[in-house]
Amino acid sequence: MSQTHARKVETFAADEARVDWHSAALLALRDKRDLQAKSLPQWEQMRESASRMKLYVLSHLPELLEQFTSNCEANGMEVHWARDAKEHNEIVASILKERGKKKLVKSKSMLTEEVHLVPHLEKHGIECIETDLGERILQLREEPPSHIVVPAIHLKKEEIGELFHEKIGTQAGASDPTYLTHAARESMRQEFLSADAAMTGVNMAIADEGAFVVCTNEGNADMGAHLPDLHIAVMGMEKLVPDADSAALLMRMLARNATGQPSTSYNSIFGAPRPGCELHIVIVDNGRSLRMADRRHAEIYKCIRCGACINTCPVYRRGGGHSYDYFIPGPIGLAIAGDNPEANSEAWACTLNGSCNNVCPVKVPLRETIAYHREQLAQQKQLPYHKNAYMPLAGKIFGSPRGLSMAMTAVRVGLRIMPQILQRRIGGWSKSRDFPKPPAESFAHWYRKNRGE
Amino acid sequence: MKIALFIPCLVNHFYPEIARDTLELLEKLGHGVSYTQGQTCCGQLMTNSGCLDQARASVEALGKALLKEPCDAVVAPAASCVVAARENLERLTSFEDFHSLAGKIFELTEFLHDIAPLDHPLKPLRKTVSLQMSCHGLRQLGLGTASELVVARPVNKLQALLSRIPELTITQPSRDECCGFGGTFSVDERDISGKMANDKVADHLATGAEAIVGYDPSCLMSLGGVVSRKGIPLEVMHFSALLNQVT
Ligand code: SF4
Repeated sequence: MSQTHARKVETFAADEARVDWHSAALLALRDKRDLQAKSLPQWEQMRESASRMKLYVLSHLPELLEQFTSNCEANGMEVHWARDAKEHNEIVASILKERGKKKLVKSKSMLTEEVHLVPHLEKHGIECIETDLGERILQLREEPPSHIVVPAIHLKKEEIGELFHEKIGTQAGASDPTYLTHAARESMRQEFLSADAAMTGVNMAIADEGAFVVCTNEGNADMGAHLPDLHIAVMGMEKLVPDADSAALLMRMLARNATGQPSTSYNSIFGAPRPGCELHIVIVDNGRSLRMADRRHAEIYKCIRCGACINTCPVYRRGGGHSYDYFIPGPIGLAIAGDNPEANSEAWACTLNGSCNNVCPVKVPLRETIAYHREQLAQQKQLPYHKNAYMPLAGKIFGSPRGLSMAMTAVRVGLRIMPQILQRRIGGWSKSRDFPKPPAESFAHWYRKNRGE
Repeated sequence: MKIALFIPCLVNHFYPEIARDTLELLEKLGHGVSYTQGQTCCGQLMTNSGCLDQARASVEALGKALLKEPCDAVVAPAASCVVAARENLERLTSFEDFHSLAGKIFELTEFLHDIAPLDHPLKPLRKTVSLQMSCHGLRQLGLGTASELVVARPVNKLQALLSRIPELTITQPSRDECCGFGGTFSVDERDISGKMANDKVADHLATGAEAIVGYDPSCLMSLGGVVSRKGIPLEVMHFSALLNQVT
């Protein structure tokens, strides 16, 4: 079993100035999101429509998948279905190898993180270059993303300056974001020109058109997909939407909610391969259909990966994205994978405050799903933080009015006689807070004395 | 109205003054108020950690105690306990009477705002208070409109009640973010929880208020813990204390 979340945050949390900086950077995104959402008076109706549309998709997946596939094929694309990560990676590798491809430029895709595609391709001798700026920074640092939309949000510009100086030869000590971005563009341009295949993710797959939408801010997906003669798009099967109107609804919400922009800068709809080129789509299950079979878990697949729940999460902002076991951090990560007994404390890295539910554009019941994981793990006796031991005891004490009264009285008296200096050494609660100063008598006692039974 | 008080375990043993203020306030407002012995806990200590089975005995004992006296409404001065009591009486017990009991439990703000609206004249009070809109009350009970939502006319029931006190100045922290209490979260995740509580206190302090006033004693306990540790010049109080003082 891995370390508890509480232990994993210790290093990050110890540098309070950095925590404040990190939190403020994400709150700025939340604030921009609020402004954009509030610019559309019908925002809450849009959330409701988007949620219902995605529920429709989840309950009609087989038909929609078949419709999407046959329409894509009619449009000249080749569609592959992959049962799991292994199958996905093998399909991609064989498409590339059969055509003698050696170098793949890829835009940001959380799916490729999920299935660990890049190490697999590298084993086959295929070079992979991340072209999203944030992802490229992390590739150079050999580090996983700490956020699904702004993957390098944990890094300061000075740290990126140092990295670029070492890896792509920018001036020592330079940290001006415009200068660094230009330098990255220059170096990336070489990679684009020498690549012989491109990979993109998919934001929405439009079933009745046989087309898919890719949204980016840097135009890197378009640049990649339009240079070489081979484009592979990979998607989890929940990315389907019935029609273009549904895609448009999500496009209106995605960038507003993610970064507070009215729209992402580049929105491309791919409907057919360019003349003389090939366009492949790989649709992945990788456990999705199994999880969807559980009604209390299924709604996580409404998610459109805007990251807003992560930005608003007070625990994520103060603990950092690398404090989670699953590669997706924050509320949506916990809701997807919080039931993994290996990372059993993760479902408890949440105060159930519910802010995530309220920002979610498709109304994923994040809070309830996280609570559900706790219930399941409790039933399997897979509780963290010594809860397996003390919860049954607490249940007994709290279940008896006399037992509860005696236990609470003991704590009350204990705190009254224990010197504060010792209380502060207990740890846990008292690491940063004093205990309350308990009164001499309980309300129940006072009431009996003054008001009778 | 005939009211039965639900006094959660934390209030009973650590903040009996909140229970007395609630009792006196409701009596001054002309309600008949009773309290029955033998009340336990709403079960949230256990259910928040997913331990539903371990919470059942406590929830049943609470239900039994509350059913001892017939009443029109059950009122509690603690938002998260009301949320848990309602939910747990519904889902953990199969007794019909417990289910109908769940439907008439109200948090004090909600009771004074929606059920038996406060229309008494109140005495003036010269004080500046900062509202602690805790999450369960805000996002589960709807005591206010959370900042994430796009609503034409946002509500804040605590503010609506307190603004009836002449000369009282009401402020609010810049964000309605969680204070970090979260039940056992405050012990399990001590670093994050402590940081959240510290940030929340700083946000309240920045409003220039003399007191933090809220409806959830557990969150107030956490904020009070920071105030005491750091020696910050802020009072931390349940809103029943204010209202009882001016009624
Ligand atoms: S769960 Fe909702 S808020 Fe979170 S990333 Fe997905 S769509 Fe966005």
